[in-house]
Amino acid sequence: MKRVGVFICHCGSNIASVVDVKSVAEAAKSFPYVAYATDYQFMCSEPGQEVIKKAIKEHNLDRVVVASCTPRLHEPTFQKTLESAGLNPYMLEMANIREQCAWVHSKNKEEATIKAIDLVRTAVAKVTRNEQLFANKIPNNKKALVIGAGIAGMQTAIDIADAGYKVVLVEKEPTIGGNMVKLDKTFPTLDCSA
Amino acid sequence: MSVEAVKDTAWEPKIVAFTCHWCAYAGADLAGLNRMQYPPNVRLIRVPCSGRVNPQFVLRAFQRGADAVLVAG
Amino acid sequence: MVAAAQHPNIEIMTYAEVEKVNGYIGNFEVTIRKKARCVDEEKCTGCGLCQEKCPSKVDSEFDLGLGKRKAIYTPFPQAVPNVPVIDKENCRKFTKNKCGICQKLCPTGAVDYEQKDEIITDKFGAIVMATGFEQFKWEEVYGEYGYGKYPDVITGLHFERMNNASGPTGGKIVRPSDGKEPKTVVFIKCVGSRDEAKAKSYCSRACCMYTAKHAHQVKEKIADSEAIVFYMDVRTPGKAYDEFYEKTLEDGALYLRGRVSKIYQKGDKLIVKGEDTLVGKPLQVEADLVVLATAMVPAEGYEEIAKKVGVAFDKDGWLQEAHPKLRPVETHTAGVFVAGACQGPKDIPDTVAQASAAASKVAALFTKDELTTSPLISEVDTSKCSGCGMCEPVCPYNAIAMKTISERVPGGQRERQVSEVNAGLCQGCGACTVACRSGAINLKGFTNEQILAEVDAICL
Repeated sequence: MKRVGVFICHCGSNIASVVDVKSVAEAAKSFPYVAYATDYQFMCSEPGQEVIKKAIKEHNLDRVVVASCTPRLHEPTFQKTLESAGLNPYMLEMANIREQCAWVHSKNKEEATIKAIDLVRTAVAKVTRNEQLFANKIPNNKKALVIGAGIAGMQTAIDIADAGYKVVLVEKEPTIGGNMVKLDKTFPTLDCSA
Repeated sequence: MSVEAVKDTAWEPKIVAFTCHWCAYAGADLAGLNRMQYPPNVRLIRVPCSGRVNPQFVLRAFQRGADAVLVAG
Repeated sequence: MVAAAQHPNIEIMTYAEVEKVNGYIGNFEVTIRKKARCVDEEKCTGCGLCQEKCPSKVDSEFDLGLGKRKAIYTPFPQAVPNVPVIDKENCRKFTKNKCGICQKLCPTGAVDYEQKDEIITDKFGAIVMATGFEQFKWEEVYGEYGYGKYPDVITGLHFERMNNASGPTGGKIVRPSDGKEPKTVVFIKCVGSRDEAKAKSYCSRACCMYTAKHAHQVKEKIADSEAIVFYMDVRTPGKAYDEFYEKTLEDGALYLRGRVSKIYQKGDKLIVKGEDTLVGKPLQVEADLVVLATAMVPAEGYEEIAKKVGVAFDKDGWLQEAHPKLRPVETHTAGVFVAGACQGPKDIPDTVAQASAAASKVAALFTKDELTTSPLISEVDTSKCSGCGMCEPVCPYNAIAMKTISERVPGGQRERQVSEVNAGLCQGCGACTVACRSGAINLKGFTNEQILAEVDAICL
């Protein structure tokens, strides 16, 4: 039997000042397979992640929905949370109720809350179809390519090289140095640029 | 529904959007970051690429009552 | 510069461009074209005899036209590598098949007119974009400053060349028109920056400080000189920056708040018309030299290289970092990083800091012997695959190939074609899933079932 846990993040006041997070959590409890739903001030914080881990153990959850910011920001964070609680990290889905809800409908709190509930329902529907996935291993060629040999390229190349790795520094001009070598003394110290 | 009727009932369309993770979905995130405001009718589905959108998905949305579908990527 | 050149772990390829990038994090396969410089880097000793005797003289790009160079040249005396290059468009050997003096004179026989471009292919685990900036072409839009017609209206970079001890004037500040020392130098800030109507909306960040430095240099090098700076704002947020600006004021530089509306030539003077907005009065300055603090723009060719490597850029062409605050040197392509002004205008301290940040990200990546790849890739159900091969051409990453499988059927073995996904190459776009008529390919993490469940949940 699938058991979904739903975690609604306030993101301080970023989400909670627009979306009624309590009623989103309440609504989530009625969705199919949802065994547990709650809200918390900062889901990505250490105590927030503890809330998730504890719920996974106590309620025997096998998949999780986090409704918070965009997955482009914290999906890896919460995947690690699941992993440390013994779940496959791909049993996670996120509902983006910050960037794509609270922040863009801040003048329409009622509709924003309805939309947040819809987004959570959608994520729950998806996560119930998730399967465990496993990453592949690939080799790592420990050699860096730096494109452009101005200040940035040279400094990057030197630092990588100092760390003990090989670097190829490519420059389209006949000589390295970029704009820097055209300069005289540089602020604020007025020392030379070479 | 005629245009007049639409006006009278304050009817709002339901829009399903399939958005590419790398561009359109990121763009929607950026709109949020900049606190741009837009009507809440649209629901985004994140796909890895607009090339992932099977015409079947679009038909399914219409079948289930979506008024409009946006594929952006 | 020398530190980079002498480091045993760094191989420098100059006069070289990236042609093609394939692969992914840990496994980029890059093709680099090393253009023929027509001088053998191994044999050349950098003696400079060739450039001394070369009869073709042209404007030096390096000195922005303030000085001359030969057709075989190193841009400046301390160049790294100290190996000249032949400018084929201006070399008499290439244009008229005459001369050839450099080859005759070269004591080590390093000059080779027949040298061909070299194509190098190598594997890399990470790529750092450090493609830099160039100056905004103010001559194209600022008619009120003379469209570049007046020789004594120059940019900050020209001023730098003049100030440089190894530059075209040997470190003397002079008027390009007559070589005389200017007494009144006017600086104009924000030329191209913060000017949405004509040019760029952004602040170029470094100009306030280098203009302060220039004004200081005028006061320091030229006795009884006047340095007048027209500004919109003075922005000095940086360690020891405001102190530097204050010192420039103490040196006697005059800062006037207001934009310059017109510059025109009158005799050998430049008349600079502007306004002091703090007193609300128009004013006019007779200047000997005008220095424009022009905006920074992405270096030419950014678009081409960004597309090859797979990095996004914004409306102004600055390369896009993965997150403006939290992932400032990463990009959305795993294993590709950004450093320096290619990501946005910045000064030297910020560039160095960002470069070190990018390097530490690369070093951290290289501590791992193996990398894990995303499992969100396509998968073929061979029992459903009809072997039609429709998926193969739609794959943008060449990750799909046909293979023969042998299976048991009633009455014996049968061989047939099915498609197979290469897990290392597949980037998980899912285009193949749509092309598959029998629904045999699915994308893990974004399966047909998952997406349809989402559609259903939304349309409830």
